[in-house]
Amino acid sequence: MIDDGWDEGRLRRAVDAFRVAALVYAAVLHAIAHDEYRRPWAGWIVLGVLAVWTAFLVLHPEPIGPGHGTWVLVADLVLVSVAVLATRFVDDLGRIATGAQTLPSIYPGATVLAWAVWRGWRGGLFAAVVVGAVDVVELAGVAGPTAQTVNNIVLLVLTGLVVGFGLELVRAGRADLAAAVEIRAATAERERLARDIHDSVLQVLGFVGRGSNGAAGSGVAGGAAGDLARLATEAEVRLRGLVSAGPARPAPGGTADLRSELAACGRTGVTVTGPADPVLLPAPVASAVTAAVGAALDNVAAHAGDGAKAWVFVEDEPHGVTVTVRDDGAGFEPARLEAAAAEGRLGVASCIRGRISDVGGSVQVTSAPGEGTEVELRVPRQVAR
Amino acid sequence: MSAGTAGTAGSAPGGPVRVMVVDDHPLWREAVARDVGEAGFDVVATAGDGAEAVRRVPATRPDVVLLDLQLPGLDGVAATREILAASPTTRVLVLSASGEQADVLEAVKAGAAGYLVKSASRDELLDALRRTAAGEAVFTAGLAGLVLGEYRRMAGAPPKGSGPPAPELTDRETEVLRLVAKGLSSRQIAERLVISHRTVQNHVQNTLTKLQLHNRVELTRYAIEQGLDADG
Repeated sequence: MIDDGWDEGRLRRAVDAFRVAALVYAAVLHAIAHDEYRRPWAGWIVLGVLAVWTAFLVLHPEPIGPGHGTWVLVADLVLVSVAVLATRFVDDLGRIATGAQTLPSIYPGATVLAWAVWRGWRGGLFAAVVVGAVDVVELAGVAGPTAQTVNNIVLLVLTGLVVGFGLELVRAGRADLAAAVEIRAATAERERLARDIHDSVLQVLGFVGRGSNGAAGSGVAGGAAGDLARLATEAEVRLRGLVSAGPARPAPGGTADLRSELAACGRTGVTVTGPADPVLLPAPVASAVTAAVGAALDNVAAHAGDGAKAWVFVEDEPHGVTVTVRDDGAGFEPARLEAAAAEGRLGVASCIRGRISDVGGSVQVTSAPGEGTEVELRVPRQVAR
Repeated sequence: MSAGTAGTAGSAPGGPVRVMVVDDHPLWREAVARDVGEAGFDVVATAGDGAEAVRRVPATRPDVVLLDLQLPGLDGVAATREILAASPTTRVLVLSASGEQADVLEAVKAGAAGYLVKSASRDELLDALRRTAAGEAVFTAGLAGLVLGEYRRMAGAPPKGSGPPAPELTDRETEVLRLVAKGLSSRQIAERLVISHRTVQNHVQNTLTKLQLHNRVELTRYAIEQGLDADG
């Protein structure tokens, strides 16, 4: 349910209006048949109690809602039940046997409505069944339930169910709408921020970074100026990634888009490339691949040498996904990897292999001195069982 | 591919290469125009949005348009299409921020000759301009990944009944694209595959041409289906 005073307030006033009308109707009926009752004065007392109760509910400043309404709803149900049963004491048994109205007449309808409004279709059904049962008890020993009585009970049950269910739908719809509006507002705000950053900070960083390139080209690169420009370029790349990432697009249940996860690995000197469309993999496979790529890139930073560049290449093929991490760094003799494995010094390689084989994939490492290193990760589309 | 010989003047047989710089950010636009001008290119125009760029192309006749994809109003993809329609000999080099992969692919399919990320260095930019002017495709690793992905997507998509068959890559073209996507230069690829540098360039250019041709055929077919050519 949603906390919406205006809307719930209108509901409350509608129930109140019905309550007052029902009370007036019951009083009019009682006045008309006044002389036929066995104890008309007792009837006025019962209606008087209902009137006080109605006034209390209608004039109560706080909405009688879901928060503190349970005792009110129960009291309401008890009161109308007593009023219905009191008909046996007030009215003439002969009149009851011929199917005359109960003392509160249609007033119990207001009670069923109140339950339906604040407790949903289950509440509405419950109240209607209780009132129906009391109606039958009221007739016990005098007459069987007439067609009229059965009719009334069915209508009460129907009212409770329909009103309760309808309001549940409305409330759920309003909650969805509120959530959607919130997401849209958040997205709009994010886009506005991204635009602002794009228009201001990125422009300056790009300008400063471009200055470095110009300086380097014309051979007047100052060390400090060069560093500043390089830092500006790095900051620009990161910031650009941050503002262009946008809110994560929801992937179908249990899957993740490897392409966008890997895009987050992008840093200066690293190029992430792949298809334009999302590369969907089961979430555990995607996170294993992302972690393995991160480890491979850390390895590049540690061992490939200064200024080495790296490429992360994602391929989406029918049988599976291949990710290649290549660098143009120092490289190594293939024999060295085997030697390291034999000595148990596997380090990064074993970390990468472990993660990928856990999800049923394979890893191939190729390298030669001066030729850089290429790590190829292949994973199946489904998690191995 | 990596930057080749940098620093030489941007002049071609018929005089300096004419360049138009299109970007909505004045600071960036001026910095790029300055760099390009200092390197010997003739910056014939700058524009702040796509519509302005399209308007100025017929009068200024640039050899190369350096085009930002993120533009107000007429976006970069549409601007590429209209610039090429207005001046078929002009070549469009797309400069884009990261994270615009789908737009880059659309621009290339619409006829852009190449694509460079905005964080590329001055030398990379100048080299790319020079090669674009010379009629080469500026095939960065990023573009190779996108193009390969697009061919695979088309191969996996269910065939459309009446349409032309989707273009396919030869085994050799696939091999070359994969190597470009892994960051190898065309010289390195030529060495590895024991073919000439020129052959590598041809393979790369072919993959792009087939894609652009297919895109044009598809657009025409779509136009006919929609009856857009009824009064033309």
